[in-house]
Amino acid sequence: MILMVAITLAACSSIDSGQPQSTASDNRPARAGGTLRVALAEEPDVFDPTLARTLVGRIVFNAICEKLYDVDSQLAIVPQLAAALPEFAPDGLSATIKLRTGVKFADGTSLDAAAVKRSLDRHMTLEASARKSELLSVAAVEVVDPATVRVRLKQPFTPLTAVLADRAGMVMSPQALDGGDEKFGTNPVCVGPFKFATRVAQDRIEVVKDPNYYDAAKVYLDKIVYRIIADATTRFNNLRSGDVEVLDRVAATDVEALRSTANLQLLTSESLGYQGITINLGNVDGVGKPPKTLTGALAGPLARDAKVRKAFEMSLDREALNRVVFRGQFTPACGPISKASPLSSDAAQACTGHDPAGAKSLLSQAGVTAPLRVSLVIGNTPEGARLGQAIQAQAKDGGFDVQLVPTEFAAALDQTDAGDYQMFQIGWSGRIDPDGNIANFVRTAGSQNISGYSNPTVDGLIDQARASGDIAVRRDLYGKIITQLHQDAPLIYLYRQRNFTGVTRNVVGVRVYGDGLIRLGQAGFAA
Amino acid sequence: MGRYVLRRLVESAVTFVLVTIVVFLGIRALPGDPARALAGEESDPAVLAEIRRSFGLDQPVHVQYLRYVGNAVTGDLGRSSRTGLSVLDTIAHALPVTLQLALFSMLIATVIGIGAGVVAAVRRRTASEWAANSVALLGLSVPNFWFGLMAVLVFAIAYPVLPASGFVSFTDDPAESIRHLLLPAIVLGSGLAAVIMRQTRSAMIEALGTDYVRTARAKGLGGTQVVLRHALRNSLIVVTTIVGLQLGALISGAVVTEQIFVLPGFGKLTIDAVFTRDYPMIQGVVLVTATAYIGINLLVDLLYSVIDPRIRVGGWVL
Repeated sequence: MILMVAITLAACSSIDSGQPQSTASDNRPARAGGTLRVALAEEPDVFDPTLARTLVGRIVFNAICEKLYDVDSQLAIVPQLAAALPEFAPDGLSATIKLRTGVKFADGTSLDAAAVKRSLDRHMTLEASARKSELLSVAAVEVVDPATVRVRLKQPFTPLTAVLADRAGMVMSPQALDGGDEKFGTNPVCVGPFKFATRVAQDRIEVVKDPNYYDAAKVYLDKIVYRIIADATTRFNNLRSGDVEVLDRVAATDVEALRSTANLQLLTSESLGYQGITINLGNVDGVGKPPKTLTGALAGPLARDAKVRKAFEMSLDREALNRVVFRGQFTPACGPISKASPLSSDAAQACTGHDPAGAKSLLSQAGVTAPLRVSLVIGNTPEGARLGQAIQAQAKDGGFDVQLVPTEFAAALDQTDAGDYQMFQIGWSGRIDPDGNIANFVRTAGSQNISGYSNPTVDGLIDQARASGDIAVRRDLYGKIITQLHQDAPLIYLYRQRNFTGVTRNVVGVRVYGDGLIRLGQAGFAA
Repeated sequence: MGRYVLRRLVESAVTFVLVTIVVFLGIRALPGDPARALAGEESDPAVLAEIRRSFGLDQPVHVQYLRYVGNAVTGDLGRSSRTGLSVLDTIAHALPVTLQLALFSMLIATVIGIGAGVVAAVRRRTASEWAANSVALLGLSVPNFWFGLMAVLVFAIAYPVLPASGFVSFTDDPAESIRHLLLPAIVLGSGLAAVIMRQTRSAMIEALGTDYVRTARAKGLGGTQVVLRHALRNSLIVVTTIVGLQLGALISGAVVTEQIFVLPGFGKLTIDAVFTRDYPMIQGVVLVTATAYIGINLLVDLLYSVIDPRIRVGGWVL
């Protein structure tokens, strides 16, 4: 009895990542000059902050397009093109942002409040803008004086600062915008330690040092060449052969080999996102539409009864999944908020432990005869297959017969948006503010709520957390949200990836934080 | 002759239009909404609707097709829905890469294949023939992707004498171009070298048994002269035909090699366009490929008609 209590308490304890962080390559002095070659895992999309959608695109933007705000190594938001954090009015309906002065775009024109307003307005109004949903709470942007803008809000929205620490906060040169919206994406002009030089599709993107940058004296490199190498093994081989110096997204299976190679160093940081399994509870008419009762083959006990979903969760051993599939390189996770986030709490990190016997017991309490057949859509990649098979094997012990449905990514998005699935292994790259990891996925009719989950209590808590400016209050609210999500289990969070970046030992000053961006503003070759 | 040419031109045009229609419809039948693929992690329905509108995907299919064809005849193949770069420019950069790789592979495959084939034919039932046959078998059996990765591990990492990736055009820097293309060309050409070796060996064995070779030997000509000037020269007719037929296979087989050695070529462009549902790029790639195939077939047919009068008069070979 005592043993069972002890085991239960241990199982319900918070997850401890325990992995050391190493976010920056060493601090030896750098020499001036040199061309750094970076291998990216995918081809970026268009270099227009209003339209861009890819993570790799943000890596290149990091060198050429600074934002109003950025994050530091502790994931705290710090000013970048702004001079200070925004001052929110007492009613929370406006935010005043003071700008850094003496800043020039790469084309030599000056950055001022009018330029910031122009960029924000474009993010909100350009027809195909991918930033609209991020800036939904913004009513208008005003120029107060040449070094101050005021953002008027439709309702209080504390995550605004985090939103402005991403692409929505990037400021584009008005002179370059005057040249046409289509042209900007193929020749972007912003503020950054480097400026865009050239792009050859499928091959490389070259950026060169910008003499107009306000901190140009601290920039060592002459040029950065981003090469596109999609295959992880090929990418790794190019780092080993010296054909590139920095490697984005080292595969988990290559981490040990990289660590044991003398002339290479590994930078790691925990991702802000998560990977998990989303369960269809009521997505009948498509994502973003109000949920309905499922019918047919999808309307089984898994969708109807939270006990069955909890049973599925209890049949999974996250530690073993991490060990077997990812060689222990990632972090088991039970919620959408990283332990490193300032808004994390014990409640946010609470976890249902591995208990296959308990799973079977819950199934019989729910009146379900084991094994219960369920289907799981997984990616048709080697990693997706390994993860799916591991989940299938573990779930069997808990009384589930999992049918794997390997599906190509774009087709899977289509299928699951339409609600044509039972379970889907999908993740999220993560945002600095927890609102970005939660709201759209679990709010009723949220834009990414493919589960069709709806709980008015959760909706209310999310709205309160968005409106509050008090960190302690928000932390408590997110703890309550996650506790409720654990009870309802529309998503089963499984693990949090780590950002692995490989760097050759002759390169210094490379920084990678939890957002996964490779920061090269202060990078250089060792002197 | 004029009527034949006109008829072939019309047939080619009709074939071309049919191919573009089939591909236009085919890629739209693929599962996966291109707007969703473009939107990445964002799935706000309003954003998706705007993406569809901006790329004309909300129009009826026949309207989309006519708009595309109307632009294509003026040389405007549109812009990549993913990168925003011109489709024509992107293809124009990618084609020479694949062509250089294919031609270099063919050169290496021909030199190795013919050399090994001659040795195997002349030194029959010796260790040399056995070695040549074994190498041919390996070249045919070993998959490109494994061979490529091994080549990189050995020649770029363990003994770094060649680069692991990258492309330099022959016209920009011949020496660097050869350095960068050597490993990919050997990997891509290994299968073809094996085929050439086997064909050369067979043709040489047959040639070495003919009367004219016996006569040449009887006249007192040396072994090398007999083999190279007489037997090999006659064997090359068959080999040349095969090499010509294999060029198309080399170009299509370059996809895997381009991925391993990170060559920004035509095959890789096609695969990436399909995975990202980049409709304008897929259409552009198919247009260019169809133009090349139909154009080459047309040229060959017209050449036949010049060579064989029966074709241009009656249209059928008796």
